[in-house]
Amino acid sequence: MVIYLRSGGKLRDRLKPDVDIYTRKVEVEGTPTLEEILEEIGIPDGLVAFAFADGKVRRLNYRPVEGDVVTLQPPVSGG
Amino acid sequence: MDGFGGTTLRINLSTEEIERTPTDPEFARSWLGARGFVSKILYDEVPRDADPLGVDNLFIVTTGVLTGSFCPVGSKVGFGCISPATNGHADSSMGGHLGPELRYAGYDLIVMEGIAAGPTYLYIDDDTIELRPAGDYWGMGSLELEKRMKKDLGDDFQIATIGPSGENGIVFSCITHDFGRQAGRCGVGAVMGSKKLKAIAVRGTKSLPVHDLDSMYKLTYDIIQRTKTHPNMAPWQKYGTAFFVGWSNERGCFPTKNFQETYHKDWEKIDGERLVEDCLVSDKACFGCWMNCGKYTRARIPGKPDTYQEGPEYETIALVGGSCAFTDINHVAYANHLLDDIGMDTMSGGSTVAFAMECYQRGIITKDDLEGHELRWGNIDDFEHFVRMIAARRGIGDIFARGTKGAAEALGRGTIDFASQAKGMEFSGYDTRWYPAQLLSYCTCDIGAHHSKSWTITTDIELGRDTIEGKAEVVIYLQHIRPLFDTWSCCRLFWGELDVTPEEHVDSIKHLTGWDVTLEECMRVSERVWNLNRAHFIERNGGPGRKFDVAPARHLDEPIPGGPAEGKVVGRENFEAMLDDYYANRGWDEDGNPTREILDDLGIGYAADNLEKLGFLGKPIPGGIPKVRGRELKPKAM
Amino acid sequence: MRIEVKKESCTGCRLCEQICTICHYKEINPKKAAIAIEPHFPEPGIFEPKICVQCGICAKECPIDAIHLEGEAYVLHADECTNCGICVEACPFGVLYTHADVPTPLKCDLCLKCTEVCNTGALIVVD
Ligand code: SF4
Ligand code: SF4
Repeated sequence: MVIYLRSGGKLRDRLKPDVDIYTRKVEVEGTPTLEEILEEIGIPDGLVAFAFADGKVRRLNYRPVEGDVVTLQPPVSGG
Repeated sequence: MDGFGGTTLRINLSTEEIERTPTDPEFARSWLGARGFVSKILYDEVPRDADPLGVDNLFIVTTGVLTGSFCPVGSKVGFGCISPATNGHADSSMGGHLGPELRYAGYDLIVMEGIAAGPTYLYIDDDTIELRPAGDYWGMGSLELEKRMKKDLGDDFQIATIGPSGENGIVFSCITHDFGRQAGRCGVGAVMGSKKLKAIAVRGTKSLPVHDLDSMYKLTYDIIQRTKTHPNMAPWQKYGTAFFVGWSNERGCFPTKNFQETYHKDWEKIDGERLVEDCLVSDKACFGCWMNCGKYTRARIPGKPDTYQEGPEYETIALVGGSCAFTDINHVAYANHLLDDIGMDTMSGGSTVAFAMECYQRGIITKDDLEGHELRWGNIDDFEHFVRMIAARRGIGDIFARGTKGAAEALGRGTIDFASQAKGMEFSGYDTRWYPAQLLSYCTCDIGAHHSKSWTITTDIELGRDTIEGKAEVVIYLQHIRPLFDTWSCCRLFWGELDVTPEEHVDSIKHLTGWDVTLEECMRVSERVWNLNRAHFIERNGGPGRKFDVAPARHLDEPIPGGPAEGKVVGRENFEAMLDDYYANRGWDEDGNPTREILDDLGIGYAADNLEKLGFLGKPIPGGIPKVRGRELKPKAM
Repeated sequence: MRIEVKKESCTGCRLCEQICTICHYKEINPKKAAIAIEPHFPEPGIFEPKICVQCGICAKECPIDAIHLEGEAYVLHADECTNCGICVEACPFGVLYTHADVPTPLKCDLCLKCTEVCNTGALIVVD
C-alpha cells in the first residue's frame, strides 16, 4: 500500500521528500503502525511529536490506510 | 532613520523629566534591538551595587529592529532591567501588539530611571507623553486593569499592566498585555512595580519608515503563501504549543511533582487536545502573525466563576499542570488565569508552588505555616490560597515570594537540592536528567534557567541522550541564534517550525533599514551580548564565573524514579566535563571567566578592563581562543 | 463578488490591516487601513473584522458623487473627494474610516489583498 508522509522543519531533511518539497511517497507492506514505518525509513524516536491525518490528530500507534496523507509534526522548538 | 520609530525616550520617574532624543543609528546597528539594547544600556549605566528593586535600577521598554514591520513576525516588545531573581541582566519579551504600537507612535526605546512618588502610569498617544496618576488602578489585577483601561482610554490603546504581585515585589512577577501575553520571566514585573509604574498605555498612528517597501512586501508576501501550505501550519494553528505535552511525557522530560518524576500518568487529562476540546473559545494571534498559536480559553470549575484566559501554553501546562500534578485541564486553565491576573509568571510561579508542595509533602512546611490550609498535589483550592499568600507576602508567603532559590535559602534543611533553578531562575518545562545539553543550557544561560536561549531536547535525542559528547558546541550555537530573535524582536517559531530561514529574516532587516547587514554580523552581535552579559554578571556578583554555573543536586544525583526515562541522571562528573568543554569552546578560561582575547575580538575590550580590575579576567588560553564559537547541528538545529 | 467575514475565525492578527496600507498608501501603518479588527475581550473573547460590504449607501449620500461603482466595488476617488465626511456619517456599518494624515475617508475598493494574506478563513471572497 502507498501512503504519503509530509513534514517540514527539522524533519523534512530526514524525510527526504520526493513528491513535492514537503511530501514523500512511501510503500509499506501490511498495516504497520506509524512508529514502525518511521523506524523503517530511519526517523529517530523522539523527533516526531505527533501526526495529523484526515484533519485528526494521530498518535504514533496509528495504522495508516491506503492513500493516507500523514503530516508529521516535530516537537516545539520552544517559544 | 529607515526601519525605526526614530525616537528614544529617557524618563526620570522621580523628577518626572522626559527627554526625547533621536535614536542613535550607530547604537542601533551595533546592538540591533531589544535584548541587545538592554544588554549595553544596563552594562553602561547601572551601578554594580544597585538593588534590583531600588532607585538605581533601570526599567527599559524596547522594540527591536523588526518590530512592527511586515515580516515573519515583528510582534515583540522587550523589557529589560537588572533581575531581582538573578541579580544579573534581564531581558524578557512578549508578543501581542504593544511593540508595533510603540513604533507607530515613533519610539524605539524607553529607558526609565528613578521611582515615581506615587502609583503612576505612562501614557503615550503619538507625541503626547504623560506620567499620569494611577492611584485608582493600584491593587487591581492585570487582566481586570487592562479591561478597565481599555474602557477609560479606548480599544485602540495597547496596554501593558502589572498585578498585585508586581506591586509587592514578588521576584517572579510578570508584565501582562493583550489579555494573556506576558513578559513572564526575570521578574520584570517586580521592577516595574518597584518604580511604582502600574501600566503603560500606547497609541501610535504614524507610519513606519521603510527603506525598500516593495522588496519587503514581496519577500513576506511570498513567505506567507509558501508557509500557508506548510505541513506544520494546520496543526500549529489548531493546538499551538499545548500539544507537546504528550510528546514530552513520552520522552520522559515532563516535570511532574516538582521534577520528582518526569512522566505524569494523567497527562492526557491536561494536554492540548483536552484544552482545545473542552476549553477553547477562539484562536488568537500576535500582531501580523498568520500562525495563531494562541488559544483563548474558558475554564469551568463547579463552584467557581468561569474564567477567560489565553492559554495555558505548553510551559504553563508543564510547570503548573505537571509540576503541581493537576489532573484536569480546567484547573490548569483556572490557575493560569489566577497567576496572570495576580501578575505572576506561570513558569516560575508554577514551579515555586510545586516546590512548596514538595516541602509540604516532606513536612518541611505544615498547615501551621499555611493559615490552616493544606498544600496538596493537584488541589486547585490549596494552590489558589497559597498563591494569594505569596502575592500578599502573608506569613510564609513572604519567603516563597523570593522564588525557589530564595525560599530554599531561607528554609534550609536541604531544600536547595530540589529547587529546580539556575542563578535564581526556575527551570523551564523540561526535565534534564536524560537531556544533558538541556541541563548545560539552563545552567549557563545568561538570564537564568530559560529555554528561550537554548532548547536542546531534540539535539540530545539526535546526538544521543546518554552522551555529553559534542553538546557544548551546539548549546553555544543555539545561545547565539535563538536570542537573536529576542534582539531582532520577532517570533522564533517561523524559523523553528515553518522553515523560514534566518537569512530571510536578515533580508527583512535589509529591506527595512537599508543596512548591508549579514547573518554573520547578527550572530556576532548575539555573541557580543552573551559575553557582555557574562562580564556584567561577574562584575555584579563576584567571580569566578564558574561559581554560578551550578546545577541543582536533583538533576545531578537523583535518578528518575520511573517512566520512560527511569534511572537516568546526568551525574556530577558529566556536568563538570560539559562545563569544561563549554568554557573552552566559548574562549573563556576553566574558571568560566571570559578572556581578554574573546572580549577584544567582540569589540568589548572595556569589559576585559573591568574584569581585570576585579581579578576575574580569564587567564589567556594557550593556543588562543577558538576561531568559531559554537557549531550548528545539521540537519537544521531547532 | 464581495468579502464575507467569518468573525469566529478571526485571530486578531491584523495582517489584513497591514497589507491594506502597504497596497494603498505604500506605507506600513495599520491605522490607515480600510479594514479594522474590533477586539471583544476579555469576554466573549472574539475578534470582529469590520470591512465595507459594498452596499452603495455612501455613494448615494455623497453630495459630489466622488464614490463611483466600478465593477462590483464602490470606489472613493481621492481627487474628487472634498472630505466633507457625509459618507462617514452615512455608512450604516461604521466601516468608512478616517486618519488625521489622509485627506479623504479610507474606503475599501475590493482589491482583495487582505483575503490573500488572511490565513484563517475569516475573510472569504464570495460571488
Ligand atoms: S487577516 Fe484574517 S485573521 Fe487576521 S485579523 Fe484580518 S481577518 Fe482576522
Ligand atoms: S463604506 Fe459603508 S456605506 Fe459605503 S459601500 Fe461600504 S458599507 Fe456601504
